[in-house]
Order: sequence, then structure tokens, then C-alpha cells
Amino acid sequence: MALNTRSIGNVGVLDLHGRFDAHVAPAVIEWYGRLPAPQIVVNLVDVTFIDSSALAALAGGMKRCRQRDGDLRLCALQQPVRVIFELTRMHRAFEIFATEAEAVASFTR
Amino acid sequence: MRIAIVTPYPPSQGSLNEYAFHFIRFLRQKPEISEIFILTDRLPDDAAYPPDTVAQPGLAPLHIVPCWRFGALDNALRIVRTARSLAPDIVLFNIQFASFGSSKPSAALGLLAPAMTRAVGIPTIVLLHNIMETVDLKSAGFGANPLVERLIRTFGAITTRALLSADLLAVTIPRYVEILEHKYGATNVLLAPHGAFDEAPPPSFEPPPGPLQIMTFGKFGTYKKIEPLVEAFRLLRETRRDLELVIAGTDSPNAHGYLEAVRLANVDLAGLRFTGYVAEEDVPRIFQDAGVVVFPYTSTTGSSGVLHQAGNYGRAVVLPRLGDLAELIAEEGYTGEFFAPENAQSLAEALARLLDDPARRRAMGTQNYLAACGLPMAEVVEWYILHAQNVLTVRNARRAARRREFVKR
Repeated sequence: MALNTRSIGNVGVLDLHGRFDAHVAPAVIEWYGRLPAPQIVVNLVDVTFIDSSALAALAGGMKRCRQRDGDLRLCALQQPVRVIFELTRMHRAFEIFATEAEAVASFTR
Repeated sequence: MRIAIVTPYPPSQGSLNEYAFHFIRFLRQKPEISEIFILTDRLPDDAAYPPDTVAQPGLAPLHIVPCWRFGALDNALRIVRTARSLAPDIVLFNIQFASFGSSKPSAALGLLAPAMTRAVGIPTIVLLHNIMETVDLKSAGFGANPLVERLIRTFGAITTRALLSADLLAVTIPRYVEILEHKYGATNVLLAPHGAFDEAPPPSFEPPPGPLQIMTFGKFGTYKKIEPLVEAFRLLRETRRDLELVIAGTDSPNAHGYLEAVRLANVDLAGLRFTGYVAEEDVPRIFQDAGVVVFPYTSTTGSSGVLHQAGNYGRAVVLPRLGDLAELIAEEGYTGEFFAPENAQSLAEALARLLDDPARRRAMGTQNYLAACGLPMAEVVEWYILHAQNVLTVRNARRAARRREFVKR
């Protein structure tokens, strides 16, 4: 799975593709550690599968950001991924946006 | 966050004691947790719980409060009273349907505790390890005839509704979420991974030298019946002498005297060994010494702690072909050799397939180890903290809204 990262202003954006699972989670956690600002948007538009290790990686990233007065926000969840968030009730823990633009803009409000 | 956890806790031998031990071991390491109260069952003869010997800076202080007794009818009242006096921010229940008693009244009345706790204003989360819809009541020691079974199912449904009045109810199998949402229209149910108990380095996948051990672990006599396993062991001993059968654990609280009766009926059988209660520090050795771990279940209740432990120690497993267990294996990435439930011949054949093939045992142990590594308990605990924080945030927001409304009037 490809791990593409970029910045929009102070916000670090992570684009993930395909399966987001235990094989990808360590690279994502490692990326958090290199970010200068604790404001992250994870774009899940091309993610087709997510497992518990990936959810744990996202939850860990969110906790880390919030401890530094930032946040990790999600956008563009596809139906199979949204189902997992709802099943685990993690959709109540994260701020989730329909588009990347909305997620990035939410940091400036 | 000050949290109270209602659960059996070692050295109590109540079901789920081991899960609680590991859950709390990781929970107390989290900076969000300032204090933990374990509302646990009284030990036989009111013996005292051992002092907390691992207390140190950075770990949340642990207070063990024995306030209920397995089988008593007033457990819910006692738990609520104790919770009120301690005033935690939230109460977590680590339970299954027979946590509070082996008789129907004591089991059912105890399960009212989450609803009653919430009714007095304390937020509650229930981690329910099985649901009534998937329990084989006959095998679990309840329901002697169909009428009684139907009656129990009706009361079970009522009890489930009561449990669902908690702020959140967590289960560890996706199908349980579906059942609770469809049958009860529940909107507060969530899936939480079971979690791996130990973050141990990769184990040795080879059993130690000496007789090859077939091991089973748990609390026996209700839905874990060892007679077919002992019979299968007899069949295997006819052709191979280099085997040992280890029965590790105790009677189920619902089946006092069960293991002793089996032992007395098989005193002639060489290589059969009963360990009795296995202390926490002896658990790794018990699993590491085993060549194969057997699950002699006649039904499943959804609790998969032993399977996770077998995985942690990289052991090959032999399981009955029961719907729930097969599903669990498939969903969590485990693999095993299967046998027809309660069929000694089928079990002996399944065991022989593994005993005769060390490479297959090793491959199976490796896959189970990788499956058990899936999500460490430390991460699972983080999920519960997140859910607890959300419950508290929603409650506080509602309270603030009510205050504003009151001021307006």
C-alpha cells in the first residue's frame, strides 16, 4: 500500500490507498513522529479495507495530536470503511468530514 | 479518570478473572486513569486479597473492593451501593451471563447491576463476553428441559434489555453486534477487539523434550467436558506411549467435583495429569510445555481467552466444529484442527494428525501467534478510554444544556 504525504499550510495530509492494516500501521505511526505540527488529516478516499490495527494507529495518532493541542481528522470514508467505524463506534471518537477540503478548513475555524 | 471495574479478579477463580487481570494491568499504565477500583467477588472464607505489590509511580493506584459474592441474590444492590460510595467517573462491567451466580435467580439478578448503576447517575460501560442468543443452555448447565429453556431464553431477553440500558455495551464478535442491533434495536452496542494478553517475544514453537503434552486449560464441567478428551487420549495411548494429557484448571463454579470424578474414573490411565488451579505466574510454562492445546467444548459462549493465550505462546490447537468457534477462528486469523464435538474417535484422529506432523504443528503455532499479535491489550484499553471519554463528554454536555434551560426559565 502506498503512503503518500503532503502539507497544506500547517496541516499534514496523509493519503492512503487499498488495504490499511497491520502491515501499513507501523509506517503511519512512524510518520506521526516526523510531523512538526499536530494537525493531521487522513484521507481515506481510496482505502477499501481497514482492520483493528489500523484503527488503533489512527486512535493513537489522534491521542498524540490532542496531547499537543492539535487533532487528527478523517475524510472521505468509503462505505466498507465507514461500516467498520460504525461497528466499533469509532465514528463517535473522530471528527470525520466528507471531503479533504472541509477537513483541512476545519483547523482554521 | 477514576474508574470502577466490576469483575472477578485473581485470586478469585470466577470466570473472566484472567481477562480482568490483563486488562487492568494495561489500564493502570494509561495517564488518563488516575485511580482504579476493582469491585470484585468475596473470596472463600472471606480471605483477603493480596496487597498490590506492583504499585509504583506512573501506575494508577489500584483498590480491590470485594463487595459481592458469587451466587448471592443481592449482588446488584451491593455493587450499586459500593459504586455510589466510591463515586467513580465511570463503571465498567467485565461480565458474562453466569458471572454473578450459577442459579438462574442469582445470575439474572446480578446482571441488573449495570442498569441500576446507571439509574443512580453513574455512567456505565458493559463488556459482555457472551450473549444469550448464542449460548447452548443445556451444555452450559442451565435449562434441563425445553420448557425451562424457553423460560430462560425469555428471561435472558429481558436481562439483555436491562444490560442494554448501560451507556455502552461492548462485545468481541461482529455477529453479536448484528444480533443485538436487529433483535433489540440497540444503538449503543460496539465491537471491541478481545486483545492479546502478552506482548511477549516470539515463542519457541517447539515443545520441550520428553513426552509430548496434550493440554487443555480452563474451568471444566459445564460446556467444557473432558471425558471425550480422556477417551481420545486412551485411544492414542494404544499406539503411542510418548504422550501426556494435562488438564490445567479447576471445576467450573457450576460443576463442583467434576474433575475429581473424572480423575477417579481414570486412575488406571497412565500419563493423565491434573494440575488444579494454575497461578498467573505458571500460565506461560503450562502453554510452553504443551505440544497441542485442545478445546473440549460442547458449546461456545464467545469467550476466547484460552485461544488467544494459545496463540500468544505459538501453540497448535484442536477445536470442535461449533459454529461460533469456527467463525471466531476465521475472523481473527487463527487456524486449528477440527473434530466432531463430544466424539472421542474424531478427536483422537484430529490429535493424531498434529502429533504425527511436527511441521504442521509449527506452521499452525506460527499462524496462531501472528493472529494473537493482532491487537495488543494496551491498544484495546485505549479504545475503552476513548469510549469512556465520549460517554462523559456527552453526559456533561447534556447536563450543561439542562442547566442553561433551567437558568432561562
